[in-house]
Amino acid sequence: MDIATLQAYGFFILTAILVAVLYGYIYHLYSDQKKGTRDYEKYSNLVLHDEISDQPVEKISKNDDIKQEA
Amino acid sequence: MENRPLEYDYTVAKLFMYNAIFVGVAGMLAGVVLAWQMAFPQFNYILGMDLAEYTNFGRLRAIHTDSVIYGFVLSAVWSAWYYIGQRVLKVSMAESKFLMFIGKAHFWIYMAASVVIVIGLQLGITSSKEYSEFEWPIDLGIVVVWVLWGISIFGLIGIRREKTLYISIWYFIATFLAVAMLHIFNNAEMPTFIISGGIGNWYHSVSMYAGTNDALVQWWFGHNAVAFVLTTPIVAMSYYFLPKESGQAVYSYKMSLLGFWGLMFVYIWAGGHHLLFSTVPDWMQTMGSVFSVVLILPSWGSAINMMLTMKGEWQQVAASPLIKFMVMATTFYMFSTLEGPIQAIKSVNALAHFTDWIIGHVHDGALGWVGFMVIGALFHMAPRMFKREIYSKSLMNTQFWIQTLGVILYFTSMWIAGITQGMMWRAYDEFGNLAYSFIDSVVALHPYYIIRAVGGTLYLIGMFMFAYNMYKTMTSSRVVEENELQNATPMGA
Amino acid sequence: MFHWLEKNPFFFAVAVFVVIAFAGLVEILPNFAQASRPIVGAKPYSTLELTGRLVYIKNNCNGCHSQLIRPFKSETDRYGSYSKSGEYAYDRPFLWGSKRTGPDLMRVGNYRTTDWHENHMRDPEEVVPGSIMPKYPWLFKNIADVDTAYAEQLTIKQLFAVPYNKPLPTADGSTQTVALADSLDGAHASALEEAKVVVADMKDQAVKDAVAAGKIPEIVALIAYLNRLK
Repeated sequence: MDIATLQAYGFFILTAILVAVLYGYIYHLYSDQKKGTRDYEKYSNLVLHDEISDQPVEKISKNDDIKQEA
Repeated sequence: MENRPLEYDYTVAKLFMYNAIFVGVAGMLAGVVLAWQMAFPQFNYILGMDLAEYTNFGRLRAIHTDSVIYGFVLSAVWSAWYYIGQRVLKVSMAESKFLMFIGKAHFWIYMAASVVIVIGLQLGITSSKEYSEFEWPIDLGIVVVWVLWGISIFGLIGIRREKTLYISIWYFIATFLAVAMLHIFNNAEMPTFIISGGIGNWYHSVSMYAGTNDALVQWWFGHNAVAFVLTTPIVAMSYYFLPKESGQAVYSYKMSLLGFWGLMFVYIWAGGHHLLFSTVPDWMQTMGSVFSVVLILPSWGSAINMMLTMKGEWQQVAASPLIKFMVMATTFYMFSTLEGPIQAIKSVNALAHFTDWIIGHVHDGALGWVGFMVIGALFHMAPRMFKREIYSKSLMNTQFWIQTLGVILYFTSMWIAGITQGMMWRAYDEFGNLAYSFIDSVVALHPYYIIRAVGGTLYLIGMFMFAYNMYKTMTSSRVVEENELQNATPMGA
Repeated sequence: MFHWLEKNPFFFAVAVFVVIAFAGLVEILPNFAQASRPIVGAKPYSTLELTGRLVYIKNNCNGCHSQLIRPFKSETDRYGSYSKSGEYAYDRPFLWGSKRTGPDLMRVGNYRTTDWHENHMRDPEEVVPGSIMPKYPWLFKNIADVDTAYAEQLTIKQLFAVPYNKPLPTADGSTQTVALADSLDGAHASALEEAKVVVADMKDQAVKDAVAAGKIPEIVALIAYLNRLK
């Protein structure tokens, strides 16, 4: 197989993966919101309540790490 | 100190705001002079023949483009960063002496570099690469400025109270990273003075890449400088200022996630559309063309998200000139992100490339989208920084309509000019000879160059009104209470 | 992206960088070696030509003139044979331009002469009625910077192995050599020799006098560069 053929296969596979990732991601976002696992829309309040005296939407705490979040 | 409640500190944001207004007026003035020079070459000698070396089109062009992009827009972006950054992270610059120092250093080193750049370009010191004309000493200065901004971004994020980064912050981070990468690779150059052992100008350098490679790197840079200086930070502004000013939650936070990652992935690829039918390989050209068309999706995703944020609140557009600016900016964003992909289609590009249509496209994006969003953002921030209402609402309205008319005159005349030019260059007569000599196409464009210059002049007049209105707002407008500053910006008659 | 990413600035920044750097790697790298190979007949710039090229850049001629002929009949009829990648192998930086306010100049040396350029730079409208190109009187007064051009030649010879003083193949099978002086004085002398050839076809007495006195006005260097564009 010459380089051009490989490029063509590579391009096709990459495109297919990207399409799958995109739709999977959209599904993930909207199903999480619908099932109530996660509320993305509340983050709009980051803008609407942004005075320094306002309560943070999600407080940062020192012993938080990624694992507990996920 | 302990007795006063903590407040956001806008010291650095104010500094950048002053500069944005000043350079906005100056850079667009240079643009208007250029426009008149193309209509009437005598304007090349406005300060007399002896000074024509410094006032002719060639010298002024880079001063216009660089001062508007890196002076006006970047200053406004940084003003917005030092404003939005504190607010959505819920942390004040006053809480960290270190970050305050970095912010000020960021501003003053940037100002020093700007002055050197303007003088250098006036003297003809240039590397010839569009929007990256600076020689190596300045390129190093730019790195310093950029690193300072980076420290400011990640420093402020590091002491934040709000756990989640808001959409605008994503776009600021993307701007920071992408421009850093682009700047370093496009300015890979060798100082000749050092390599040759001290011969010639000390500031001169030669590009590491030759010919086609140089072109490829330059337009990968050039296209994405547009992406990451004139698009992503402006999207950052629109995601903050439009919801805040209108009091509406962003229509869909999920859509903003999709728009962001889509834009990040797709934008870089599209640089190849500047090199269609050149000597770069066909597959790269096709790639540039295809991804330019795909780019419509994430761009329109963000724009539609903005538009839908106004859902059910359209009376605000009629009521507030500030909302008018932002909504019109979004409209122009949709418009120019549709026009760009059309121009990137190979058959259209064959006609449009090298013509004034491209100039028209740049300006409906720059004047319509970037200019209006920046103006809207500065109008929103000023009353909150200075605790005064906007000096005059009617002046603002007048400015809006004058500038809108200016933009329309600009891009319509450049459409006609570009397509006329393209058609004349490729026209054949009945005997199979080229129908027009080059100068015929130059003469044919004269009326459109005049219309364009008038359009640009109108926009500049609007900028003067803007500067006056802002000056009055900062100094002598009515003082307002904190509770008047929640959403819609207070405005005097 | 997956909820936690927006809360972790470091990983967020890494993710953004990976996504934006990806396209550059795929698009730019594969072609790099191939595109830098010179075509038969391509040769590096002589000292005076490179000096003229710096004058061209200094005055931003590339702001209005392209140097890229696209493969269309209407372009090859007007400007000559379409551009090939290998023809640009010695162009640092490239000067393709992005706008044709004036015509393409890639092969201007084939159809314009020294005295045409001289008259045109002094007053474009007199030569081409309707032209909107400004006059360039200062080119006749300013002395060209041969030093910097020579420094650039030394730099590219040393760093990028540009073949100065080496026989290069031409289309008809013979060879040609572009000489590079081994001292700054030598470079001035060879540039002056080239300048005398150009100035023989010029009318301006002040420019002739300057060259006779061993100085090279910018216009002479620029015309040497333009004549070489073929």
